[in-house]
Amino acid sequence: MTMTPEVPTRLVGVDVGGTFTDVMAIVDGEVVASKVPTDLYATETSVLKGAEEVGVSQASVFNLASTAGLNSIITRSLPKIAFLTTYGHRDMLERGRLWRPFEALTNPNWRRGISDGSRPLVPRYLRRNIRERMHANGDVLVPLDAEQARAELELLAECDVQGVAICLLHSYANPSHEIQLRELVHDVLGDVVCSISSEVSPLAQEYPRASTTTVDLLMKLKYTDYTARLEKGLADLGFTGEFNYADCSAQLMPAEYAMDKPHRLVVGGPAAGTVATAHFGTFIKETDLLAADVGGTSCDISVVLNGEPWVNSYFELEWDLVITALSTEIVTLGAGGGSIVAIGRSGELMVGPDSAGATPGPVCYSKGGTAPTLTDAALAIGILMPDRFLGGKVPLDVDLAVDSFERLDSSLVTSERIRQAWLIGLHNIAEGILDLAVRRGIDVRDFSLVACGAAGPMMLPGVLDNLPLKSVIVPPNPGGFSALGLLSADRVYSESKTLYGLIDERNVASISELLERMERELLDRAGVEARNVRVVRTFDARLQGQGWETPFISLPSGSLSAASVAPMVEAFHTEYKRRTGNKFDQFPVEGVTYRVQVIVPSDKVAYHPLESRGGGAVPVAARRALAHLYPDGADANCYERDALRRDDEIVGPAIIWEAMSTTFVPLGRKALVGEYGEIRIS
Amino acid sequence: MTAEVEPEWQPEKIGVDGDCPNCGDAALARYPVVAVGGWMEVVKCQRCLISVSRKPWHRSGFITLPEFEMEER
Repeated sequence: MTMTPEVPTRLVGVDVGGTFTDVMAIVDGEVVASKVPTDLYATETSVLKGAEEVGVSQASVFNLASTAGLNSIITRSLPKIAFLTTYGHRDMLERGRLWRPFEALTNPNWRRGISDGSRPLVPRYLRRNIRERMHANGDVLVPLDAEQARAELELLAECDVQGVAICLLHSYANPSHEIQLRELVHDVLGDVVCSISSEVSPLAQEYPRASTTTVDLLMKLKYTDYTARLEKGLADLGFTGEFNYADCSAQLMPAEYAMDKPHRLVVGGPAAGTVATAHFGTFIKETDLLAADVGGTSCDISVVLNGEPWVNSYFELEWDLVITALSTEIVTLGAGGGSIVAIGRSGELMVGPDSAGATPGPVCYSKGGTAPTLTDAALAIGILMPDRFLGGKVPLDVDLAVDSFERLDSSLVTSERIRQAWLIGLHNIAEGILDLAVRRGIDVRDFSLVACGAAGPMMLPGVLDNLPLKSVIVPPNPGGFSALGLLSADRVYSESKTLYGLIDERNVASISELLERMERELLDRAGVEARNVRVVRTFDARLQGQGWETPFISLPSGSLSAASVAPMVEAFHTEYKRRTGNKFDQFPVEGVTYRVQVIVPSDKVAYHPLESRGGGAVPVAARRALAHLYPDGADANCYERDALRRDDEIVGPAIIWEAMSTTFVPLGRKALVGEYGEIRIS
Repeated sequence: MTAEVEPEWQPEKIGVDGDCPNCGDAALARYPVVAVGGWMEVVKCQRCLISVSRKPWHRSGFITLPEFEMEER
C-alpha cells in the first residue's frame, strides 16, 4: 500500500508498548515497520534500536509515544518526593475524591491504590503543611508563614527528597504564595526539581490539581534525563530533525516544550489509533467514525465526531489518580484475538476478559496454551489460514484448536461451542460499542466503524449483525494503523486556566484579556506567526449553581465584546442540550475554565488513490470451506489485498489476506474497495 | 483581608533516650499520631522523620468515653 508524506521527507513514529516497541516509518512512499522487544528497564534503548533499523538518520521528524512514565507509576518505581500544601490539607492525596468504585461500595477493606494503606505516591511524612491561606477570589486570607515553611523544608532536606510538588488552595486565582514557596524551596533544598500547581494546571478543584502536580513532578524527574539520553542517542545516530512527544490525545509537542509539563505525556500511545482514524477520515470524506483497535488482549474503542477525536478534559491513571490533561476517550474491552473461551458456573460459554496473551498464546500457536481462544475459533472456522498467520511467521495447528474446544466441559456439541464462542466474542464488542454510543448520545446508524489492529478486520465485520452501523471500514495496513497515528497528528501548544464568573457584559472583558494573553504566550512559545497556525478556543461552563461543567464549548476568535456574550451563552445551551437532551436557557451561565490551543500543521502520512480495474473480475486466490459458523456450511472466496483495485466488489462470505491481518466478509455482506484502498463492508 | 491564625494545638512530644538508627541524631520523641491504620503511638526521629516504633494507641485517640476505659480495664 503506497503512502507518502505530504512533503518529500522521511517520517518516523515510535510507539513504546509493554511488550514490543513499534516503529513505523514512511520511506520513499512505503511504510516500513519494525518491532523491537521493549527493554522495560531502559526503554530508550529499544526506541533507539528501532529508530536505527528504519534509518532515522535520514528522517526529518521523529515522533515518540512513550509509556516509560506510566510504567514507573504503575510499578511505583518512583523517586522520593515531597508534597507541600495549605495547613490542614496534606491528606488530600490520601482522600482522593472520596469516591469509591461500585464494586467497593460495601467492602470495608477496600483501599484506593494511592492511599497510605496501599501504595502512596508520596508517603504521609513527606506531605507537609504550610501555614498560609488564599481566598477563592485571590485575596490573601492568611499570609505565607515563611519561617514555618523554612522549618518544614529544613526537615525535608534531612530526608533527601529529589523534588517538591506544591499545591496550595486557590492558587489558580493567585499564584503568589506558590511562587514564594518555590523560591524558599530552592533556598533551602538547592537545585531540586519543583512543580507548582498554578503553572502545571491552574484549574479549580484542589484534588485534581494536587494529583496532577504530583504526577507532573514525577514525570519531570523521569523524563528530563530520559529525553536527554534519547536526544543524545538520536544525535549519535545522525538524526538532526524535529523530536516530538505524543500527548494523551496523540497530539505532538516538541520535546523541549513537552518537558515544561510532562504529565501530559503519561499515556502517549493508545490515542494514536483515533488520530489515525480521524486523519484517514479526511481522505475518505467521513467525519463521524468509530475506531476499534482489536489486538490480542483487548479492543480499544473511541469516537471521531465531526472529524475530531472525542476528547475529555481529564483522565484517571488508576482509581482516583486524576490527571487534568486533554485526553482521547478510549473504552477498553477485554475482547481480542487472545480472549479465552471458558465455561461459567452455570455451564454457559464465556469469552474474555482473560486473555492468553503472547505467552503461551492461543492453543493453535503450539506454545503450551490449553484454553481455547477466539483465534482458535477463527482458525477452526477457516477464517485464518494455518500457514499465512502474521505473514507465515507463526504456523497454526488446526487440530490443537479444535481439540481445545472439545475438552471444554459443556453440553454443546463441538461445532456449536466454536460457533457460539465466536458469536459471543462479537457480541461483547457490539455491546461495548453500543454502551459508548449511548453514553455519548450518538446514533450508531450515522457512524461507520474503522476496524484496525491485527484482529479487527477479522472480527468487526461480524458486528454488523448486532449493530445497525453504516458500514465497517478496513483501512490500508490495518495491523499497523494505530502506530500510523503518530504520523497523522499536528503539533499542538495548549493552555487552560480557571476564571470563575458569569458569562455577561460585566465579565466579558476579563475573559477576553485572559484568552488573548494565553494565545500570545502560546504563539511566543511556538515561535510562529499567527497566520501560519490554527487557534482553537474553548471553554467549560455550567448553569449557575451546578457543581459540574459542560466542557469544550467553542469560542469566537479575536477580542470578545458585549456582542460576544449572547453567542457564547447560546453555544453553551446548544452543547448542553446535545450532551444531556435538556436545555435550561432561563438560567445564567457561569464560565469556569478557558482553553486555547495553537495548532501548527505538521508533515503527515498521505494516502494515495488506487487505480480502478477497468473491467474484469476480481482475481480469486483460493476457495475455502467454512466450518461451524453457518448451519448449512459455506464456501468463501479468498483474495489477496494487494490485488484489489478501486471499485472492486466482493460478496461474502469472503476472506481477504494481507501480511499482518485478515479481513473476513460474513455471509450476506458485501465489500466494496474504496478510492484509497479501504474496504467498506455493509 | 487577612485572618488571624490561632496557634494550633500540638500533642505533647516526650523525649526518648537513644540515637536515630537512620541519621544518628539524638532527637527521638514519643507521641500519638493518627494515620490510615488508626491512632498510633510512635517514636520518631524529629530530624529525619524515620519511625523507630509504631504501636496502636487508644482507638479513639484523645476522645475517651467511660466504656473505653472499662474495656481497657
